[in-house]
Amino acid sequence: MALPSVSTGATPDDNILFDRSARTRWRIGFDRWAGRLLPFLFLVAILPILDVVYYISKSALPTLTLKVLTDTSYRDPDALGVPIITTAEMMTLATLLAILFGLFGGIATAEFLSERAAGWARTFANMLAGTPSVIVGYLGYFAFCLYFGWGYTMIAGVLTLSLFMTPYIFRIADLAFSSIPRHIREAALGSGARPYQYILKVGAPIAFPQILNGVFLAVAIGVGETAPIVLTTHGSVILPQSLLSPAQFLTATIWENFNSPFPVAVALALQAAFILLVVVVGLNIVVRIISARYRKRLEGLFQ
Amino acid sequence: MDDALARSEAAGPEPLPPPSSPSSPPTVDVPRPRRSPGQWLQIFVPYIPSFVPLAIVAAIVVTLVLVTGLAPLNGLFTSKFAPTPSSGPASWGILVFVTGSFLTAVPALFFSMVIGLGIAIASVVYLPRIVTRFLDPCVDLLAGIPSVVYGIWAYLYVSTYFGSTLNPFLFRNLSWIPGVGGPAPPLSGLGLPISVFILTLMALPITTLLIRDALRTVPRDLWESGLALGATRWEVTRRVSIPYGRGGILSAAFLGFGRAFGETVAVAMVINVEASYPHNIFQGTGTVASLMFSILDSAYGNSQFLAALCYMGLALLAITLTVNVAGRYFISKLSATEIAGL
Repeated sequence: MALPSVSTGATPDDNILFDRSARTRWRIGFDRWAGRLLPFLFLVAILPILDVVYYISKSALPTLTLKVLTDTSYRDPDALGVPIITTAEMMTLATLLAILFGLFGGIATAEFLSERAAGWARTFANMLAGTPSVIVGYLGYFAFCLYFGWGYTMIAGVLTLSLFMTPYIFRIADLAFSSIPRHIREAALGSGARPYQYILKVGAPIAFPQILNGVFLAVAIGVGETAPIVLTTHGSVILPQSLLSPAQFLTATIWENFNSPFPVAVALALQAAFILLVVVVGLNIVVRIISARYRKRLEGLFQ
Repeated sequence: MDDALARSEAAGPEPLPPPSSPSSPPTVDVPRPRRSPGQWLQIFVPYIPSFVPLAIVAAIVVTLVLVTGLAPLNGLFTSKFAPTPSSGPASWGILVFVTGSFLTAVPALFFSMVIGLGIAIASVVYLPRIVTRFLDPCVDLLAGIPSVVYGIWAYLYVSTYFGSTLNPFLFRNLSWIPGVGGPAPPLSGLGLPISVFILTLMALPITTLLIRDALRTVPRDLWESGLALGATRWEVTRRVSIPYGRGGILSAAFLGFGRAFGETVAVAMVINVEASYPHNIFQGTGTVASLMFSILDSAYGNSQFLAALCYMGLALLAITLTVNVAGRYFISKLSATEIAGL
């Protein structure tokens, strides 16, 4: 579309809009090229993801059979049935324990504590979430395995893992209850609800999707952890018979076999990594979909 | 007039009116309600679950301190780590590993901050919303991949490229730089460069997320006034957005450093853990976390060895907790849902 020409008698040099000096051309060109080139930096982040997924799938899928996934007999150490079932059991227990340790604290922090005390509680939760996993593993090793004398057992691994997952659930519960709008809270309390009635009947239905999301996220973080598990329980080839028997977690299988001189063992590690990747990436995507959907639904409530 | 002024100055400032002027409402002393022990219990009980994380942190610190017994170890603050020397007493220096942690974490932080800043600017300033709605979650997905999967990928696959291509290339062309020359890089490709690569990938999602949020908090007024004054988008980003969001960018640096410094398993798989300083940037060395993880088995029964490892644990804990608390301090208005998992 041609612009209408207006004759003002001015030369282009008089007007900043017609400025074509070298400096201005450089400024505009720099901006334009920044806009063209900077998006390519996304490749630095996206190519490694694609490469991890491609490499692990390419190496694991040809040898991955149903027998590898389900065989639990100890005569066949090249199968993943034992670690998969053990991981499912341990993650269930650890998630329940982490909910027990974290959920009530998060709700109490959001609902009952003074502003100052809540700030401290959140700081400690953030500190725990920032603690390197190997340190939590040391706590489990020295306290549960050695001091309590349990040794390399399932219960030691489950407890250590639940301690590692606690701050994530704590923070998401705190966040979910803190973000309930003030007017809903005050309407409930103002019409005579006891605090526990408010939490159970008003707060919980609103906060539930977000908390469920946080639990999924904590599971995704916990199932990929290696250090706390390898330091507290590993090296079993059979299913755990009780809480006080050794257990084999999926990540421990990878850690034990990744640099083995036997190709069969390395293939086993790659298959374990593939299963882990599918579970974790799947959980992450589910979390994102849920949070996007409920954010929309909750926005209507918050207006 | 002047005299009056001089006199009043000599007399000093006028005395303030008494605090309880007749116009202010009278204050009534409301007695604090006397609470029964049951009521105190009601107030106190919610504090118990809220401070479970504090209890866990305290348990970690107490455990580490109890194992060390705070006993002095031979050569703790030296760089000689020799648990079973052929002659003479054992030496428990931790400086090699602290140095190794910094040698891997600082370059990784540098790369992830530079790349993260670029990605964040591209996402917030240049790309249309409909594109970033799909690209941003991809970057966040980097944080979701377990470190052991990164480790096995790097050990089995990426290391071959480092060993056969990248390290020899750098060694041939840059060996005049001190620290790059010296012994030839190992053919396996394991060592510092691949550790820095892995740590960069692991710190990248958190730095990108925080910088993106920092740039998004810039008010629209400021952004549009900059454009209206004739600045380009790049200039407004450079001179307005980045100074405005510097708190968030600083917190990205702190939290990214904490992530890179404490990373355990992936580094232990690719760094070729050794108890000595590297001769050049291609060699292996040890980081605190990777050594603590990979050597605990062989320390069983040796109380001095366990104590040395726990001293390392205390050092690691002190550094990461300081960095984390400092980083959280700078996060102000953040989309807290997204940060909750990091």
